[in-house]
Amino acid sequence: MAVALKAGAKLKSAVCDTQLMVVKAPAGEYDIRCGGVDMLAGTATAPEGAQLDPAQAGGTLIGKRYVDAEEKVELLCTKGGKGSVVLNGVAMEIKQAKQLPSSD
Amino acid sequence: MPADAQDSSESTAAAYAARLLRSLGLIPSPTLYAPREHPAMAWAASGLMELTGLSDGPPQMCPVPLAACADGALAALASLAPEGSFDGLSGARLLGERAAIMDLHRAGAVSPGGACRLYRAGDGWIALNLARDEDRQVLPAWLQLEDALAPDALPQMIAARRSHELVEQGRLLGLAVAADDAPGPKPKGWFALGVEGKPRQSSKRRALRVVDLSSLWAGPLCSHLLQRLGAEVIKVESPARPDGARAGHPGFFDLLNAGKKCVAVDPRDESGRRQLRALIAGADIVIEGSRPRGLRQLGIDAEVLVRDTPGLTWIAISGHGRGEPQENWVAYGDDAGVAAGLSHLMYRATGHHLICGDAIADPLAGLHAALAAWVSHINGGGRLLSLALSGVVAHCIAFDLPGSEGALRERQQQWTALAHESGVSKPRTRPPSGHASALGADTSAVLAGLGIAC
Repeated sequence: MAVALKAGAKLKSAVCDTQLMVVKAPAGEYDIRCGGVDMLAGTATAPEGAQLDPAQAGGTLIGKRYVDAEEKVELLCTKGGKGSVVLNGVAMEIKQAKQLPSSD
Repeated sequence: MPADAQDSSESTAAAYAARLLRSLGLIPSPTLYAPREHPAMAWAASGLMELTGLSDGPPQMCPVPLAACADGALAALASLAPEGSFDGLSGARLLGERAAIMDLHRAGAVSPGGACRLYRAGDGWIALNLARDEDRQVLPAWLQLEDALAPDALPQMIAARRSHELVEQGRLLGLAVAADDAPGPKPKGWFALGVEGKPRQSSKRRALRVVDLSSLWAGPLCSHLLQRLGAEVIKVESPARPDGARAGHPGFFDLLNAGKKCVAVDPRDESGRRQLRALIAGADIVIEGSRPRGLRQLGIDAEVLVRDTPGLTWIAISGHGRGEPQENWVAYGDDAGVAAGLSHLMYRATGHHLICGDAIADPLAGLHAALAAWVSHINGGGRLLSLALSGVVAHCIAFDLPGSEGALRERQQQWTALAHESGVSKPRTRPPSGHASALGADTSAVLAGLGIAC
């Protein structure tokens, strides 16, 4: 199911604990899955019988940023889980951690 | 004077030193020496008065004795140290050293360093610290905007939103954001004791070894103070993410880091993680300012290490303390001061929305952390002690907070007059003791010395 990804919107996995927040995404429709199943926006609930696909169980880590190959789409993991995050059929990758500031 | 300072001749700094020592289970020495300056004069002499206020207005008093608390923290440490260890050092003046080196000035609702700013939200004020350029990239997600954010639209966007929603969403996104609220209920203490391990077994005579994984100001100041107590400090950095302060003012980096051995280990590969674990295993004191989940993701679990390494003291410095959810919140020195209630107090005392001091939570936390580390170490170690930037400031505020609005304003007037009588100093700094080593300059020497394979 294709969905729009709005900056600041929250997504949750239908089959594990993963929660993501959209940091950035160009306008458009996206197919975003976690654990092989469409992710849920807002207060949507999981379809009955949805199960984690064992082939899509790489896991997510809290605090990591997940990006597509061009780093156009960036999602922040706000809760880790067992599923892998897949955007338009391609697994998302962890972005290199931010540099530390020079002063605060 | 606070209620527990029974001797009316005792200075505020001495009373605060005694409070800190008692909270660590120690009896203050009758010969404890602390500066006897009035807290208003300590503030004026620290340089922070000059750094607080509107840029086109007068320097402002702080109605709680923060500079005297800094003097008290150093006095408490000095009372447990070999005589003369801290000669020539003033706790209060440490607070203004960065501003002196970088030539920073008061800028009202903006921090002297320029990154942190108070904004009016729909239902109150907040502080936002954009310390990294990359933080700007998450602003559209923070404000849930469809389009890019025009550079000058930020105040207007924030004003249209509710403060608690901005703080909550910002913290999820890793922004250093805080509500500009009144000080909370009196904090229970200024540190939290996590797990306790076993004390040191042998009494091997060798120099105190500190492994410092921290960056910026609070943690490096803590290990810098331990150097004065004879510690060998090994500053450990990741080559991919070195201490950000290396890219800041070199004079300030030298001031805090000269004389430390600089080791680079890459935690992204297994040999780097093994070296890091070996460095920690050889330490008496570890200082770090990382979020616990970041270290756990590298296979470094402070709780487990303290439990398994007899005598190890682990000093964890965070923005808002350990435990969920606050251990995941990012904070820096200026916004942590706001979170503790400092800007709210300044508003009630002056009528202006002001950032108080320069990243004030950083040097205050560094001073307190050095005391916690030293006390734990001389008592055999085996402790995880956690200090929060905001928690240390909250503790200093609560030490001597006027009980009513009337008392607050009256004190502000009296203390301001006293400060002007004694003279308001510009921030001052000591010269650095030398140049800090380059990133990783001592890696092979230190690893070889500890028998760790490169």
